[in-house]
Amino acid sequence: MGGFLLRKAGAALIVVFLSSIVVFIGIRALPGDPAVALGAENRDPAVMAAIRQSYGLDKPLPVQYVKWISKALRGDLGLDARQLPVGHTIITRLPITLELAFLAILVGTVIGVLAGVIAAVRRGKPSDHAATATALVGLSVPHFWLGLMMIIAFAVDLHWLPASGYVSFRAHPIGNLEHLLMPALVLGTGLSAVLMRQTRSAMLNSLSADYVRTARAKGLSEGVVIGKHALRNSLITVTTVIGLQLGALISGAVITEQIFVIPGFGRLTLDAVNERDYTLLQGVVLVAAAGYVVVNLLVDVAYSLLNPRIRVSGAAER
Amino acid sequence: MGFVDATSSMINPRARRRRLLRKRFLRRPLAIVGLVVALTFIVCAIFAPVIAPYSASATDFNALLAHSSRHHLLGTDELGRDVLSRILWGARASIEAGVFSTLLAMAVAVPIGIIAGYYRGWIDAVIARLTDVLLAFPFLIVAVGLAAILGPSLTNATIALGIGAAPALIRVARGEALALREEDYVRAAVANGASDARILVRHVLPNMLSTLIVQATVAIPAAIIGEAVLSFLGLGVQPPTPSWGVMLADAQSYLSQAPRLAVYPGVAIFICSLSFNLLGDGLRDVLDPRTTR
Repeated sequence: MGGFLLRKAGAALIVVFLSSIVVFIGIRALPGDPAVALGAENRDPAVMAAIRQSYGLDKPLPVQYVKWISKALRGDLGLDARQLPVGHTIITRLPITLELAFLAILVGTVIGVLAGVIAAVRRGKPSDHAATATALVGLSVPHFWLGLMMIIAFAVDLHWLPASGYVSFRAHPIGNLEHLLMPALVLGTGLSAVLMRQTRSAMLNSLSADYVRTARAKGLSEGVVIGKHALRNSLITVTTVIGLQLGALISGAVITEQIFVIPGFGRLTLDAVNERDYTLLQGVVLVAAAGYVVVNLLVDVAYSLLNPRIRVSGAAER
Repeated sequence: MGFVDATSSMINPRARRRRLLRKRFLRRPLAIVGLVVALTFIVCAIFAPVIAPYSASATDFNALLAHSSRHHLLGTDELGRDVLSRILWGARASIEAGVFSTLLAMAVAVPIGIIAGYYRGWIDAVIARLTDVLLAFPFLIVAVGLAAILGPSLTNATIALGIGAAPALIRVARGEALALREEDYVRAAVANGASDARILVRHVLPNMLSTLIVQATVAIPAAIIGEAVLSFLGLGVQPPTPSWGVMLADAQSYLSQAPRLAVYPGVAIFICSLSFNLLGDGLRDVLDPRTTR
């Protein structure tokens, strides 16, 4: 177990390291000389040299990288265009997106796993066909467009829910959920379509496995066989899919927050591009990439807890 | 002569396989519908200048936000531009992004995946880590970065979508190569002294082609939706060039006055990507009987 986790953590560390290099080089590839930007009107070579020296821009790139990453590791991501610390901005925006993502995963898992299990158990029956067709529609529909349609229906026409904005859970718990209901549905239904398909095929596999036949032969009730034996084993697939869908979830959060005007991490990303705030952009992208890797590491841990076989044998494979 | 043709096509295993596949495909009405609708969108994209009743940017100030009528079948937008014409023109950006990003992803991912799966060992481990790095950057984050560095455009959006689709394809190609290298005909080729390049191109690649075709058909609708997302956010197609995503972004300001402006482009995206998904599901059933449900 320890060895398996160490190997996984080592691989994750390498990926974070390589990703940080990609981010660093990407930002250096931007057009324009940062010293010219910092010097504003002053183009005097002596001033330029002084600026380069004080910001370390005269040092070789590897030295600049080490300086940047060692500061980043201590939570110092530099100052954005408004001279505010980027790390602080990200930390204030991140919880909003994490709450949205949590609700979306909740919605997606409940709908997706339930529909997948029902479809697999009633394979070939009308409910299976209905669930499979709905999943296909769910894969084909642009979910941000569903968001627009929901705003038209529930906010503009029916006035049931607010069209946009955000209030914090601590200030107004009901208002918080009202504001996040539609965004969570938009983000969650996208996940549920993928999860439904995967759960269905995983359940079909485990329902035809020997241990399910044995469980039935022992005389266990159908509910116990499905819930405890078949579903337990299919959950491994579900965890992996959620981990792999995290990238889609990050992309989805950006557009969902844009449509519903939620001041989270996703909107911060877009603001950074639109305002050409490169320090902010660099911090946002680094945090997104590192977050993706860390969550997938946690998924691997959950995976090994759910499936003891992984710890012993298939550690190298995925 | 006809007699000879019939027997030769019965003996020729390739022709027989093709006939079998065609027969299996024709038994799936949904896949046929998908194929027809997808082709229709491709035709619209290519012949938009001929088919569309108006130019995509022609404004009619006597008909702003007009309802559908004989002159404007789907009505007009806030500048009096014909919505139907803009949807037909908009198919161009969607099909372009969908097809080219998938081709780009294939061109990058397939060689890398084959090498990883065929040679295994350290090169496989290196490629696995690099794939993980690619995965850590979702397509929207890549698109954001490219838009910042190179400026927003359809080309950069297509590149971002291609990079986003590559990791999954690398894993598929790797898995296939891993299985194919154990096949008897590959071992026979090795024993015969065939070069690695020849084995990979003549024996491994052709035998994973059907899997790749299925993957490509599934990647296209995802890229079509992705293009709409990026154009909606201003990271893709730039106005006044019409795109379904740009149309939705414009419609956002008129959700209460003219909600129909937000309906039509979304329906177009939905039907277009559904058609490719139906086609992909059908092709999967036909080409890959292992996963028959």
